[in-house]
Amino acid sequence: MTETNRLRNFCIVAHIDHGKSTLADRILELTHAVAARDMRDQYLDRMDLERERGITIKAQAVRLTYQLDDTYVLNLIDTPGHVDFTYEVSRSLAACEGAVLLVDAAQGIEAQTLANFHLARDAGLAIIPALNKIDLPQADPEETAREVGELVGWDPKDVLRISAKTGQDVPALLQKVIELVPAPQGRREDPLRALVFDSTFDAYRGVVAYVRVKDGVLPSRAKIHLMAANADSEAEECGVFAPEATPMPELGPGEVGYLVTGMKDVHLAKVGDTVTIAGKHRAREPLPGYREPKPMVWSGLYPAEGGDYTALRDALDKLKLNDAALQYEPETSKALGFGFRCGFLGLLHMDIVKERLEREFGLELIATAPNVEFHVIRGNEVIVVHNPSEMPAPGTYDHVEEPVVLATIVTPSTYLGAVLELCQSRRGELIDITYLSPERAEVHYRLPLAEIIFDFFDQLKSKTRGYASLDYEPVGYERADLVRVDILLHGEPVDAFSSVVHRDKAAQYGRQLVERLRELIPRQLFDVAIQAAIGSRVVARETIKAKRKDVLAKCYGGDITRKRKLLEQQKKGKARLRRVGRVDVPQEAFIAALRVDQRAGQKAGQRTGGKP
Amino acid sequence: MTAGLYVHVPFCLTRCGYCDFNAYAGLGHLASRYVDALEAEAGLWADAWQGERFGSVFLGGGTPTTLDADELARLLARLRERFDLEPGAEVTIEANPDTVDEEKLAALREAGYTRLSMGAQSFDQRVLDALERVHGPASVHRAFAAARAAGHTDVNLDLIYGANGETLASWRRTLEETIALRPEHVSAYALTIEPATPLGRKVQTGLVPGPEPDLQADMFDLACELLGEAGYGHYEVSNWAFPGFECRHNLGYWRKQPYLGLGAGAHSYRDGRRWWNVRPPAEYLDVVEHGQRPVGGEERLTPEDERLEDVFLKLRILEGVPVASVDRDVASGFLQQGLLRRRDGHLVPTERGMLLLNELVLALAG
Repeated sequence: MTETNRLRNFCIVAHIDHGKSTLADRILELTHAVAARDMRDQYLDRMDLERERGITIKAQAVRLTYQLDDTYVLNLIDTPGHVDFTYEVSRSLAACEGAVLLVDAAQGIEAQTLANFHLARDAGLAIIPALNKIDLPQADPEETAREVGELVGWDPKDVLRISAKTGQDVPALLQKVIELVPAPQGRREDPLRALVFDSTFDAYRGVVAYVRVKDGVLPSRAKIHLMAANADSEAEECGVFAPEATPMPELGPGEVGYLVTGMKDVHLAKVGDTVTIAGKHRAREPLPGYREPKPMVWSGLYPAEGGDYTALRDALDKLKLNDAALQYEPETSKALGFGFRCGFLGLLHMDIVKERLEREFGLELIATAPNVEFHVIRGNEVIVVHNPSEMPAPGTYDHVEEPVVLATIVTPSTYLGAVLELCQSRRGELIDITYLSPERAEVHYRLPLAEIIFDFFDQLKSKTRGYASLDYEPVGYERADLVRVDILLHGEPVDAFSSVVHRDKAAQYGRQLVERLRELIPRQLFDVAIQAAIGSRVVARETIKAKRKDVLAKCYGGDITRKRKLLEQQKKGKARLRRVGRVDVPQEAFIAALRVDQRAGQKAGQRTGGKP
Repeated sequence: MTAGLYVHVPFCLTRCGYCDFNAYAGLGHLASRYVDALEAEAGLWADAWQGERFGSVFLGGGTPTTLDADELARLLARLRERFDLEPGAEVTIEANPDTVDEEKLAALREAGYTRLSMGAQSFDQRVLDALERVHGPASVHRAFAAARAAGHTDVNLDLIYGANGETLASWRRTLEETIALRPEHVSAYALTIEPATPLGRKVQTGLVPGPEPDLQADMFDLACELLGEAGYGHYEVSNWAFPGFECRHNLGYWRKQPYLGLGAGAHSYRDGRRWWNVRPPAEYLDVVEHGQRPVGGEERLTPEDERLEDVFLKLRILEGVPVASVDRDVASGFLQQGLLRRRDGHLVPTERGMLLLNELVLALAG
């Protein structure tokens, strides 16, 4: 147990690619937490997937000792760096007393810098701004220090200038952390309250929670109670990461570490829950801020091979063990058979889950175009719709509501016009524009989530030559004039192609999807009509003309083996098609809507681009 | 059931851009060694093929007529010594118009070559250019006349349609000029782009457009129409002949009669086993000159392979598959669509069906 006055719990918050993981690496070296020979880049990002994508999705905590006037114990808590995981970031922040706000001296403040700063300030943390990458020739420390100083209320000359890459002035930063981050409060005598800021499932040890003890003492072996889950368990071990897991007899107030909960279901140890001691010593009130993980984006996942349904279910069950945010429910599609409607925190989360299912479980999946959760209002009743094809028929309800976000975009002023145009074309409502400097603007927009989940970020990047940054947070549901667009193939509606779009864009969307499908669906032995319909009204139609020629022209010279192999290849290709009614549809067609949306965005941009 | 004997001659004057056969330009200096090797290889197989009666011989390539008439005559004589050729056997030799004259063709006829298969490809200079053929339309006329003058009464002209720049009108002229010559046999192949050829690479990189399948379908229809009107019987997807002049050797492949292939990369088939010789001529020469059979690989057909090949081959030659041997619903769909018709308890592709043969085969063999 460490005396709380020598404890410092802090995190590093930064916009993506501003150097957070590199700084963590330097701190690990400086505190001798990792022997030089064991050091590897992005040490804390453990999963292979994370390392490849260069991002951190699982918060980690590492315990370091640093000698100054005294020996200090520093707990460095790593936070996720993507907009999908805002809530996870907020819980990591709640485990700290201070935050290093790291800003790339060449890039300046970006949207996630702002979002993370506001989260950290709202959590009451001491904030230590630091400019990174000052060794880069294109770094502009003076200007960036001015921006950052203004944001956090510091004199620009006091803002630290470091290079995480070379290690320059990282010791000074640690000294500032020790000086400025308050020691944790909390009394040993109080009933235990420990915040779960992450949890994971270990195949051998079951659910492991990352915890920050706020009050009281967490003994190594104890009967624990999780307050939000209302579940009891026999904890088996607690300890700290130094940086490898090291068992401890107990975790005292202010300490950060892990807890082997003895539970087998990660959903009982969700981020934000409070651990206390079961029985008469339990705390009365949980720590504030618990929230159920809420999926924002839904998509149908279907096995490419119908027989893999059970394997997919087992894989999802396993994956869910260490991903408390993942939700899924079985669904049946006429076009795709048996599968699951899955809920994700965002598109990145969806990509990660799909990739893990394919990579770790060897599954081949068909994903339908992602959609948001719609609320259909009928009198006092709210019907929650996760699948566009379940949208009730028009006229059978009062209205529909869709999720709306508050988006923060930081852009060079030169591209402000393009950014506003993009947001307007996405049904955005401008809140305000403020200038970080004459060259850089911070824009706030209300935007329907449905308008930004597919490709908004890519569009934003391409319209601003990569300079703009984005962050957003959900702000509830709003009424919108939405309609369901159905696709009919050879006269049969195909549920997996249905989508819900704004009435003003429905016809154009229908035309583009139909056109895209005409390109993607191979010619069949008969003419195939593709129609888009809103209710019973057909808004677009294309015909795929029947195929006329599919024959191996030449078959002589005796090499019949080769001809047979060509046929076998063709047969394999056919096996990858989905028979929908009488029509063979390639798997790519089911996410075609993604690309349609991209092109719609580009076209909308071009169209409004000519206006004064 | 008679057997077939195939002899591969891998030499060409130049390589054509579309061709992916086992053929080489500039190896002419190996020719006489190669003929010796063919004769030696015949000796290596002779015992094993005792008891088989051969109804056909086919010298293919490459361009067999790059060899001298003497060499070709000697080769055929040696083959007759090694194998039991039927008295009326069909003996075909492939010829490039620029490698033959009346004298050579007469010598071949004299030596026992009964059938001539000439690579005309087109009568449109632009199409020949697109195919990177070195001969012109005039060469075809000259070589064809020479063949007739030399007494050849069973001549095939090979045509290719759908090359870049060829129109339906140009294809019609090629067909009309072909028919005017009245060859006994016409092979008309839709140009297929093979990836591992100069033309294939040009198509992949977008330098040259690939064939348009609908235009090739129109060209196929036109060939069916004009050749049919001229009295040619359509007896295989890409082959037409006056009655009685169907190529016996090729029918042997399609009817799964046994065949022995001699020469670099040649394929053989007997009793459910397929094997093939090593492809590079130098390697072939080396192995044969060391007294070994130059087999490079083999496969034994599984029942599924047999089934797929049977359906594939029998549909190609319009023999068809017995109605009772295929799924009833699948068959009735194709009958309704006019892709199959019934004949003597068999399902046979219609002309439209022949163009979609892969679809039919995969559905019916499945």
